[in-house]
Amino acid sequence: MKTRWGRAFWLSAGLLVLAIGLSVTVGAVPVPLPVLARLLWAGLSGRAVPASLPAYYHTIVFDLRLPHTVLMLLTGAALGSSGAAYQGVFRNPLADPYLLGIASGAGLGAVLMLAIHRPAGWGGVLALPVAAFVGAVLTVALVYALAQVEGRLPTTTLILAGVAIGSLASALTSFLMLESEGTLQRAITYLMGGAPLSGWQPVLAMLPYWLVGQAGLLLSGHALNVLQFGEEQAQHLGLNARRAKALILAAASLTTAVAVAFAGIIGFIGLVVPHVVRLLWGEDYRREVPLSLLGGATALLLADLLARTLLAPRVLPVGIVTALFGAPFFLWVLRRARPTAT
Amino acid sequence: MSRKLFLFLQVVLVAALALSACGPAATPTPTPVPPTATPVPPTATPVPPTATPTPSPTPTPQPIVLTDGLGNEITLPKPAQRIVALAPSITESLFAIGAGKQVVARDDNSKYPPEAAALPSVGALWNSLPLEAIVAQQPDLVVVAAITSPDDVKKMQDAGLTVFWQANPKNFDDLYKNLNDLAKLTGHEKEAAKLIAQLQERVQAVKDALADVQDEPLVFYELDATDPSKPWTSGPGTFVSRTIQLAKGRNVGDVLDKPWAQISTEELVKSNPDMILLADAPYGVTPEAVAARAGWDKIKAVQDGKVYPFDPNLLSVPGPRLVEGLETLAVMLHPDVFCAQPLVNHLEQNLVGAVCKP
Repeated sequence: MKTRWGRAFWLSAGLLVLAIGLSVTVGAVPVPLPVLARLLWAGLSGRAVPASLPAYYHTIVFDLRLPHTVLMLLTGAALGSSGAAYQGVFRNPLADPYLLGIASGAGLGAVLMLAIHRPAGWGGVLALPVAAFVGAVLTVALVYALAQVEGRLPTTTLILAGVAIGSLASALTSFLMLESEGTLQRAITYLMGGAPLSGWQPVLAMLPYWLVGQAGLLLSGHALNVLQFGEEQAQHLGLNARRAKALILAAASLTTAVAVAFAGIIGFIGLVVPHVVRLLWGEDYRREVPLSLLGGATALLLADLLARTLLAPRVLPVGIVTALFGAPFFLWVLRRARPTAT
Repeated sequence: MSRKLFLFLQVVLVAALALSACGPAATPTPTPVPPTATPVPPTATPVPPTATPTPSPTPTPQPIVLTDGLGNEITLPKPAQRIVALAPSITESLFAIGAGKQVVARDDNSKYPPEAAALPSVGALWNSLPLEAIVAQQPDLVVVAAITSPDDVKKMQDAGLTVFWQANPKNFDDLYKNLNDLAKLTGHEKEAAKLIAQLQERVQAVKDALADVQDEPLVFYELDATDPSKPWTSGPGTFVSRTIQLAKGRNVGDVLDKPWAQISTEELVKSNPDMILLADAPYGVTPEAVAARAGWDKIKAVQDGKVYPFDPNLLSVPGPRLVEGLETLAVMLHPDVFCAQPLVNHLEQNLVGAVCKP
């Protein structure tokens, strides 16, 4: 058993490193591999960059590509692990991190910030992600509040409340987009997952929330396993099911909210990656959550790579690429699952 | 069914038939005169294909026959008196040649000159053509620019309007031709000729002053950088590109393959422009904001402090102010040559003031 898990981790970690390498290599300006190697070595070892190298290579790799890669890595990891958590809590393979209306809430927050004519430079470049984050968090909080039934948090009520609030948020978003002709383009690219922020500032802003959320998720593996037996059974097994669910969902929602706020709404990673992990390595949430974390990061980095190269020099929104590849895969999973009815 | 109800229905039916007969008078064929039609000789009575009622003058004037940018031949019995202008460039040009009094309505975006802003607007064009508002103005001529699609032109023609479509000028000669066409349609040929002569003089003055200049700074003309990793700029073949070249500069956007395209910050960093012009300054973008963008602080223009706000209307509205755009560009690209010259005084001071410090 141990060696199997060990192999799984090494494989996932290896794929992730490969994806990171590819992501840093590919871009609008071709950076020859030897140059890249020298730059990275100089960066890691703290030595000065050789003066013979044109200065723009340094700027491109360290100020543009590396932060973008890290941002995509964090986002993919967030979506992967929270997707696994959501599927575990709801005991439903169709669950994804956007079930409780996070995407719609983030979209509404983002479009609201784009639509209001605020003085230029107000809030700076982080105004949009902050607004999206607040929108997402408020939406989930509202869904929690609405889904409380006699002190309990029934799954069905949660889902229904999520769908209802999500639809309301989407409707408001569409209305706002219609009203503000100028901001339509940016809002649309955000909603398609095509508006990742550039530079190190967004990465640093995102990191604290990401760390807190991921820590919560990585520690929830055992609780998720117990929850698979059903809430009553879990209660009998000594787990405070209601509290566990609330905490896990809170951690997952936080992680997803911060991911969506900085990179736009990217679908299918949270849905498909946990499935693949489950197919390959079984359903033990103590391993599934961290493996989905690694897998999600790899998947999103590869999708981002495709988004940048498929129609070069144009850059597709990543959300489109994940949907293009995720949807057929998802359909295939559905077909496989049909004979073995849950 | 009761007898009363049946009778009521009969009355309604008859009334409906009667009312339909009192509909709007059938509009005469709105199709423009086919190109094969021979031009009417000056002494013969003019054949009016226009649907809108123009008061027929007793002494028959010379009709105006002109082919527009879409190949439609327009015939006006006399200079247009009720013009609806559906683009800022059209409005500006009409006022510049002295035909301002003949314009009765404009579109939402036409705000220059101030007299034009005082005219009623038929609405914005970005969503759908405000046909009813245009027809309500009872124009004898509607002048449109490239922003209006041939489909919309057809819609207006079907409604009985005479429409003249002008392509966006690719260079100054195209601009002069457009001004001339408008002059012929409005009967202001003399004034247009004077205006064109003045514009040509100004363009020539810039060219002469630059004759001996050797250095050609690399300029990045930023149209929109809401996504700072992929800002929009003007590509090759655009008026912006040509004007930058005319002002002895080089346009960064010329490496792209579309007239309006995005350039990645990576490419921008690599090309390292000497100057950045913020055509999105009216939307609140400042040089300080540019310096704060990831990776942009390493660009030569940012490090030298040569990031300047620019007025996009000077180069994006294809009207007479394009010459002012050329002059402004020339000053900003070569302050050592132009700051001492008198032409600086009639340019926008908040633009040239950034480079011509006293």
